[in-house]
Amino acid sequence: MWKSILLLLCITYVHGAEKVNKQIINKNVERSIDLTSQLVKISSVITIENAGKESVQNYLIVVESPVNGNLSIITVKDALKEDVKFKPAEIEGRKDLTAYNVILKQPLDSGRATVITVETIFTKSLVPHPTSILQKEKQLVRYFGNAYLYSPYNTKKQTTNVALSSRSIENYTKLKPSSQSDSTITYGPFQDIQSYSNEEIVVHYENNAPFLTVSRLERNIEISHWGNIAIEENIEIHHTGAKLKGPFSRYDYQRDSGSAHSIKSYRTILPAAAHSIYYRDSNGNISTSNVKTRNEWTELELKPRFPLFGGWQSSYTLGYSVPSYQYLYKNKLGEYVLNMRLIDHVFDDMHVEELETSIVLPVGVSNIRVKTPYETKRLDDGVTYKYLDSIGRTIIKLRKNNLVEQHIQDFEIKYEWKFTLLFHEPLLLTLAMFVLFVFAIIYVRLDFSLKKTEHQKKE
Amino acid sequence: MAQISTVISRFYNDYSVKTPKKLKLIDAYLTYILITGVVQFIYCCLVGTFPFNSFLSGFISCVSCFVLGVCLRLQVNPENKHQFAGISPERGFADFIFAHVVLHLVVMNFIG
Amino acid sequence: MVQAGSKKTQVPKLSSKTGISSLIIFVVLLLAWIVGFSSRLFAVIRFESIIHEFDPWFNYRATAYMVKHGFYNFLNWFDERAWYPLGRIVGGTVYPGLMLTSGSIHYFLHLLHINVHIRDICVFLAPVFSGLTAISTYFLTKELWSAGAGLFAACFIAIVPGYISRSVAGSYDNEGIAIFALQFTYFLWIKSVKTGSVFWAITAALSYFYMVSAWGGYVFIINLIPLHVFVLLLMGRFSNRLFTSYTTFYIIGLICSMQIPFVGFQPIRTSEHMAASGVFVLLFAVGALKYLQSMLSKSEFKSVVIYGGLIAAALVFLTVVLLTYAGYIAPWSGRFYSLWDTGYAKIHIPIIASVSEHQPTTWFSFFFDLHILAATFPAGLWYCIKNVNDERVFVILYSISAVYFAGVMVRLMLTLTPVVCILSGIAFSGLLELFLREDDNVRPEEQEDEDQNTPNKRQLYDKAGAGGRLPKIKHDQSKESDGIGQNIRSIVTIVIMLLLMLFAVHCTWVTGNAYSSPSIVLASYGSDGSRQILDDFREAYFWLSQNTADDARVMSWWDYGYQIAGMANRTTLVDNNTWNNSHIALVGKAMSSNETAAYDIMTALDVDYVLVIFGGVIGYSGDDINKFLWMVRIAEGEHPKDIRESDYFTEHGEFRVDAEGSPTLLNSLMYKLSYYRFGELKLDYRTPAGYDRTRNAVIGNKDFSLTYLEEAYTTEHWLVRVYKVKKPDEFNRPRIPVANRVIKSPNFISKKSNKRKKGTIKNKPVVVKGKRLSKNQ
Repeated sequence: MWKSILLLLCITYVHGAEKVNKQIINKNVERSIDLTSQLVKISSVITIENAGKESVQNYLIVVESPVNGNLSIITVKDALKEDVKFKPAEIEGRKDLTAYNVILKQPLDSGRATVITVETIFTKSLVPHPTSILQKEKQLVRYFGNAYLYSPYNTKKQTTNVALSSRSIENYTKLKPSSQSDSTITYGPFQDIQSYSNEEIVVHYENNAPFLTVSRLERNIEISHWGNIAIEENIEIHHTGAKLKGPFSRYDYQRDSGSAHSIKSYRTILPAAAHSIYYRDSNGNISTSNVKTRNEWTELELKPRFPLFGGWQSSYTLGYSVPSYQYLYKNKLGEYVLNMRLIDHVFDDMHVEELETSIVLPVGVSNIRVKTPYETKRLDDGVTYKYLDSIGRTIIKLRKNNLVEQHIQDFEIKYEWKFTLLFHEPLLLTLAMFVLFVFAIIYVRLDFSLKKTEHQKKE
Repeated sequence: MAQISTVISRFYNDYSVKTPKKLKLIDAYLTYILITGVVQFIYCCLVGTFPFNSFLSGFISCVSCFVLGVCLRLQVNPENKHQFAGISPERGFADFIFAHVVLHLVVMNFIG
Repeated sequence: MVQAGSKKTQVPKLSSKTGISSLIIFVVLLLAWIVGFSSRLFAVIRFESIIHEFDPWFNYRATAYMVKHGFYNFLNWFDERAWYPLGRIVGGTVYPGLMLTSGSIHYFLHLLHINVHIRDICVFLAPVFSGLTAISTYFLTKELWSAGAGLFAACFIAIVPGYISRSVAGSYDNEGIAIFALQFTYFLWIKSVKTGSVFWAITAALSYFYMVSAWGGYVFIINLIPLHVFVLLLMGRFSNRLFTSYTTFYIIGLICSMQIPFVGFQPIRTSEHMAASGVFVLLFAVGALKYLQSMLSKSEFKSVVIYGGLIAAALVFLTVVLLTYAGYIAPWSGRFYSLWDTGYAKIHIPIIASVSEHQPTTWFSFFFDLHILAATFPAGLWYCIKNVNDERVFVILYSISAVYFAGVMVRLMLTLTPVVCILSGIAFSGLLELFLREDDNVRPEEQEDEDQNTPNKRQLYDKAGAGGRLPKIKHDQSKESDGIGQNIRSIVTIVIMLLLMLFAVHCTWVTGNAYSSPSIVLASYGSDGSRQILDDFREAYFWLSQNTADDARVMSWWDYGYQIAGMANRTTLVDNNTWNNSHIALVGKAMSSNETAAYDIMTALDVDYVLVIFGGVIGYSGDDINKFLWMVRIAEGEHPKDIRESDYFTEHGEFRVDAEGSPTLLNSLMYKLSYYRFGELKLDYRTPAGYDRTRNAVIGNKDFSLTYLEEAYTTEHWLVRVYKVKKPDEFNRPRIPVANRVIKSPNFISKKSNKRKKGTIKNKPVVVKGKRLSKNQ
């Protein structure tokens, strides 16, 4: 999987402005907008047709300006569900748009068509309305979106499906044709849509999915060549749904009437080999958690100290250890290679506003090279001292904003390290003990001699 | 009263005859300290004790010097040898110096 | 513990070498340390590494502040989060020894790059110091009696519940290190009295300095040591050694103790410290007289004594009276009065009486905390009286005064415990010496070893000895002189062993069951023996810390002040450093008034949240309704017009929360906050709705709503309930004539300013161990 991710890596700078090739038309577009969670997941299956004479290889995807700030991740796949390379681009005359230039695997000859799937995930796009509710009220949210695929090309035919989390829909924009069945709204099919068309739709519906945002996640990975990797995550979470208005009544809460929008607990998936798990906050251990070990992973059911209502926040620390042999190996060149997740699962459909991953390398590493699966900001390296260190350990710090589950991917760090350094500290300790004992011996001897002289003096 | 004065004069004679020179030296030191203390006390009565901690540290350091001097005198005095079995005059003097180091560190901290 | 206890006796037979005996002493002390340390870890193992109770939370917070901001900033720390709106000058109102100790350990470990969190240092500080206490107890007992008795005493103090109660892991309190400082000071004092060396006296003074920096109980030392000197003088045991050691100790100790900002000039200004200076002067007078005596003839001496003595006595008396009259020397504070007159606090200072550990001790708790030691220590005392010498006079006085104080206040059990251990050590060592001189094949090995152990070690430490030969001689002697039959011997030794075993078992049991609960985490046991943790306190505090404004002010009864500050990091109105009685009374008044009156007080004090503890759902007895009468009493003390205790009782003089309870109680703020919507809650099928499990009654006022407050958060088991005080625009305020309100608020302002004057200027806070403050009325 991550080979294909590597393809996405090299995008570091923006190319010059691209011209829109008018030869291309979207023959058929099928969009589905998934609004069942706190995220907006739009997946568009686009059939591209080359109506011109020359073969084309580039296809432009654009994200309209009011929502592009909320775009968390975009992936493009071809008909075989394989990742397709793309890079950020700028469209001539429309610099306000975020655009991506997809490089098709094979040039599309004149008259031929191909299918790509574009998946985009937006955060913060569901707005609670009303913005504050009582404990027993339902949480209603509004989605503002486009009934059409926003595209620089003309589209022949398209449909849009909106999947909701519940059947109770307050109202929705009724375009023609549109229909509702169960918890799905279907717009279309529409015919012959101009490029850059925008037909706003609003969906106002009940959504009791957890609106939980990780406002800051600090992930510390500490590598020990004694065979252990310790991971600690400091997590600040925030309920970003409709704010709780008025009192919180424990009595009503215990009777379980309403308050479906509150968050009692959630699941965190850890690696299968995780052990010595701890879950605490600034006041100590949080005793309400369960660990279930599955074959493939470890499942942790975390219950915050208190149920989270809209506008409430909490923070905690989750830590565990994994054996290093699964993540750390030595390549043929004698370098150590560390492959670990830049971010790990916190809860399903998670949204992380700010991530800072720090990797503490062992004592005395050199020649460090870092490779990340997507663009991240690398902060200045830090130095830390752990147990009895005389030489500091390097800390690699990476930062990224606005992440979702699809960002759970591996980074790679290569470094050189000498095996003998492993015995540096035990030796130091032994030496110190030895010196201590020698001093004790000398002191005892000295003590005797002193006494004697003192006696002599007195006499 | 007359009796008292004879007592005092006899005491003075005894003292100058019996007391070793070393102890007389210490006694001179003690008298000096005593006078310093009295002067300080008179000063505070006349002028006031305003920086109370400074006055206290001065006065207490005086008293402490006096106390330590007396202790040294007791320990050095050959008549008291049986009472201070483990303490030679040298040891007594070393203790005296140690005590002064501690005392003056504290006093300096306190004088503000 | 039992195993380790027996381990200490399993030592190889002694040869005469010093090496082996010191090895044994080393091993026994080390084991005592380890046993003492590990038996204090029950709480950590059962729960977690966490700070316990109330006061330790303040100490922890102060330590964390010091570690973060440095020592000088700590000394100048003005904490505006406490005692809103007054604030508290923390640096000047704490004994900084505890924070300094753990801060320097933290600093040292971090120099070595051992990154221990300051909380863990705080949690484990008391257990580590218990080991040091055991060692200093050993040295003290060795000076008093013998090395064998010392080992006994060290083992006793390591596990005795009376001391464990204050030093389990997590109880990060002054006493934890202060008992070590106490024992060590006494050891150095005894040492200096024995040798007359200035060096030992200086070290005693320095150790006393440490004690002063750590605990208000230093007053005990500064009165006991002069008492010792005084009694020695009365017994005609004056010596130049005594003179050198006491005068040096006193004068250096005096100036050292004044270095602590919180103590300040008290040592020369308060009556508590006057005995020491009196003895100092007396000793000088006696010393001068002795000197004159050595120089003069008898008749001359007499006349000098008569004149000099008369003049001196008149002078001293006059100065003391004058100084007291002029206000230089403060009279005894209320806390000390309460030591002499046990009824004093109850009448005059309800806030002191309201603390359970200030109640007189029951016989039960003597047994509970000391077990057999309570019975054996008089034997040790008897041994000491029979073979009295300078140092033993000290331990006799120590034990007698400590017994008295322990009888007055449960808390002072702590000062009794060490001396009980010392004397019991002496008693056991004396007994075993009598009964275990012989090497018999009949006896079990363990006892045999014990036997060898005790007497031999002593000899080796007496340094008198040409070692190896002596035991044999004694052996022979004992056979001839004792004339105790073998069976008696074995019966007695077995009984002693059984007693010691029982003691160890008792200690383990008490430590495990009574003294190892952190009190902020409660555990309940289900019918199937499963353990359920009730973490409501931390739930509520964490909620406060996460979901209220950073400057929110939380009103609660003073017991929870430190915890709110420590765990929720919010501003509190009153806390466990109860230095300002009128402020507490105001909070008490708010709690005991009806909602409207309380609202006025709360707005005057800018209260945002009110926190109450309510145990009715789970049957927790330490909740606010059970403490309510104290709030009423304290409020009544300051506001007798508005609050009357009798209003809260039924006609029959009962305190009831059910339908027969007095209407004043049923409408008080505390009642309403505790029982809000509780009337609808049905706990199980057998009981009616609104059944209070703590007081076993159906509450009397079930159906009411709150006008000025709203429920902000209630924890899972309803243990902590937090209410938000509504802003004036948030509720439909009942129409109150404007004039009324205008009259009321200046009233409060004047009270506040009044209080401020009292609190900070006139009455200097005299906190003992941060908990109660001797505010005198």
